Amino acid sequence: MLSLLKRYRRPLLVGVLLLYPLVAFLLSGRKVRDPNPIDRAVIAVTSPVQQVLTASIEGSVSAVRHYLDLRGVRQENDTLRLENLQLRASVQALGESRTENERLRKLLGYAEAAAGPEIPARVVGVNPVAKLLSVRISAGEKEGVFRGMSVVTPDGIVGQVIRATGSYSDVALVTDTQSRVAVRVQRSRARGTASGAGSGPLKLENMLRTEDVDNGDLIITSGTDGIYPPGLVVGRVTHLEKKEHGMFQGGDIVPAVDTSKLEEVLVVGSPYSAMAQGSAAEGASK
Amino acid sequence: MKFLVTVGIALALLTLESVVVKQAGLVLGRIDVTVVLVAFLALRATLLEGAFSAFAVGYLLDLMSGQPTGLFTFLAVFTFLVGRLVSTFVDVRGGLSFALFAMGADVGHGLLATFFTWLTVKDGGTGPVLAGLPVQVALTGAAALALFPLLKRFEAAQDRPAGLLR
Repeated sequence: MLSLLKRYRRPLLVGVLLLYPLVAFLLSGRKVRDPNPIDRAVIAVTSPVQQVLTASIEGSVSAVRHYLDLRGVRQENDTLRLENLQLRASVQALGESRTENERLRKLLGYAEAAAGPEIPARVVGVNPVAKLLSVRISAGEKEGVFRGMSVVTPDGIVGQVIRATGSYSDVALVTDTQSRVAVRVQRSRARGTASGAGSGPLKLENMLRTEDVDNGDLIITSGTDGIYPPGLVVGRVTHLEKKEHGMFQGGDIVPAVDTSKLEEVLVVGSPYSAMAQGSAAEGASK
Repeated sequence: MKFLVTVGIALALLTLESVVVKQAGLVLGRIDVTVVLVAFLALRATLLEGAFSAFAVGYLLDLMSGQPTGLFTFLAVFTFLVGRLVSTFVDVRGGLSFALFAMGADVGHGLLATFFTWLTVKDGGTGPVLAGLPVQVALTGAAALALFPLLKRFEAAQDRPAGLLR
């Protein structure tokens, strides 16, 4: 027996190398396993290199861009001054509304929703495999990021943390084909689902034909999926299709955030609820 | 090529690719640098050394994919073995023939990856991935053309006998 093993040692080893990952893949299927110590070590080694490379390339690109941008800077400055004035006026008005809102909430005895932390991070790289649209960010468990937390920019939602290690996390983008987000129309409060389509706009699904929605409507997260906090901007409706038959109407949602040009993001949501909802979060990204 | 050097090159290439993809905003057209590496291994490495190296390269790709499931580890070893088999029938010497060889490997790798992903996800859209495959294969061919002299140089550096007089 031992001599047989010795004789066929090479083909046996190659067979194990071939079949072990296949069996692991077929058994785990679509489930994402938690990172083991080897995974963590490799990520800890590769991610800083990614970060340095990203920083140096971005630095060179932005230096060239800055030089080119200097031409139109005076005109842009004037426009921005005007915009700043308008925004300051809006902020003042919003401050009034906020104070009034808080006062009314107190009067009605509403409980204050505990806001989770906002953890800033930089995008250090993009997943090199087209199977899943994801990016790696420079914040992980050490910074309080856990699987299931939402990732946003001031413009809108970006995606969801699917794996967190020491100082880095992987974020599945909303544009990925496995992504589903519970949404509502901001104007009419009609509810639906935004599904990723790989590239380009998201698909508006599960919205009843009778619901009030129009092209150009702003779509926000509804919060009913338990993953994304309510009220975050997703995008705007285009190419709305109201068919003669069927229960639902469909359309495209142009994402508010261009996920192919991400630089800085914020990780939001309570880490404790994210940890508790680990499995639910996994489901939402699929 | 020695195992550790292969792993090092794979790491460097994947990191570089990830940064380039981020800058270029290529959503679906990716460059399969690991397939280029595995194709090179299929032509030059011994069975055991190549299988171990392909396993490590695939594992790295799996890890960087955000969803480590073992699929890319399996595909790397499988591509290596098939590539090794094919290399007994074809003569791959120059950069251009290597690029064609790597492109062929990438077509097989891409189709199998899409099939296995469809097998487990079913509801996921395979259309966009398949539509992006021709661009991906072309980019991989271009990468193979560029990487071939580099990989050959690495290989030659390792095959040099030890000692002061060379």
